[in-house]
Amino acid sequence: MAIIIRRLEEHDEVESFDCGDEPLNNYLKRHAWTNQEKISIGVSYVAVDEGAPRVVLGYFTLAMASVPREAFPKKYVRGLPPYDLPLILLARLAVERRFAGRGVGHALISEALRIGLRVADEVGCRCIVTDAYRERVGWYSRYGFVPIEGAAASGPQRMFLDLRTVRAALRR
Amino acid sequence: MALKIRRTRINAPAISRPRKTKFQADLAPADDHTVRLLKEELQVTSNSDFLSDAVALFRWAVSERKMGRRIISESLSGERIALLFPRLERVAPDLVLPRVEIAWTKRELESLAELASATEANAPTDALIRAMRV
Repeated sequence: MAIIIRRLEEHDEVESFDCGDEPLNNYLKRHAWTNQEKISIGVSYVAVDEGAPRVVLGYFTLAMASVPREAFPKKYVRGLPPYDLPLILLARLAVERRFAGRGVGHALISEALRIGLRVADEVGCRCIVTDAYRERVGWYSRYGFVPIEGAAASGPQRMFLDLRTVRAALRR
Repeated sequence: MALKIRRTRINAPAISRPRKTKFQADLAPADDHTVRLLKEELQVTSNSDFLSDAVALFRWAVSERKMGRRIISESLSGERIALLFPRLERVAPDLVLPRVEIAWTKRELESLAELASATEANAPTDALIRAMRV
């Protein structure tokens, strides 16, 4: 199986996609294309097999965000640059159930981080954040994401990855 | 009696003034006509002022495209036209992600500020190193 990761296209087969999580399935089937092409609030990238290049095996969605400097508590502002803090949001990442455990997730996050570095080079960005399901926190931690404290105990865990760490990984 | 004037050269302290650059251009008659018209419309009298304003406008356009923003004119009825200027497209990034708003709790912002202001980032994990080798 040779996996290709590319931008979501209009005629990709997404209807049969099932990662075991309804909101993630629904996002890909109902919203990903519209959000990407029509209202521009997230770009989705899909993993496909070279042999069946329309069938989506997994996907992730990225967007840019920023935190206004004045939103930070005064105590911490001194250590930050005198601008809003730009960041990349890894909004969603999911793998089709039948392909779980076969390296698709690894390939997806690898590509997401590479895109993160390219975006940072192009428009400037400091970090990547994601809202991880509690049971997936360990998986993201393996790639260096660290929990951001303060999330509601029942909801997803917001996590942080410094792009300097990703850049350092490239040099290893 | 003629007065004898002693001239003394006083060396003024060296002040480095930014040197002005002369700019000369050969304009085709049509462009020359356009420049004259624009100067008249904008009530700009000197070529220097005209060029300075044009540079300011161009600089802004370049910075907007560099950030991946499109330059759009909107009519009163809401009709929009996007500027497509080949030279500007050269500076536009290949990859632009749309911008979204994220809601943060106060504690999350504290935690984020702590992480983002760290002087040194964490060392990459083995899985991250492998991911970046793919």
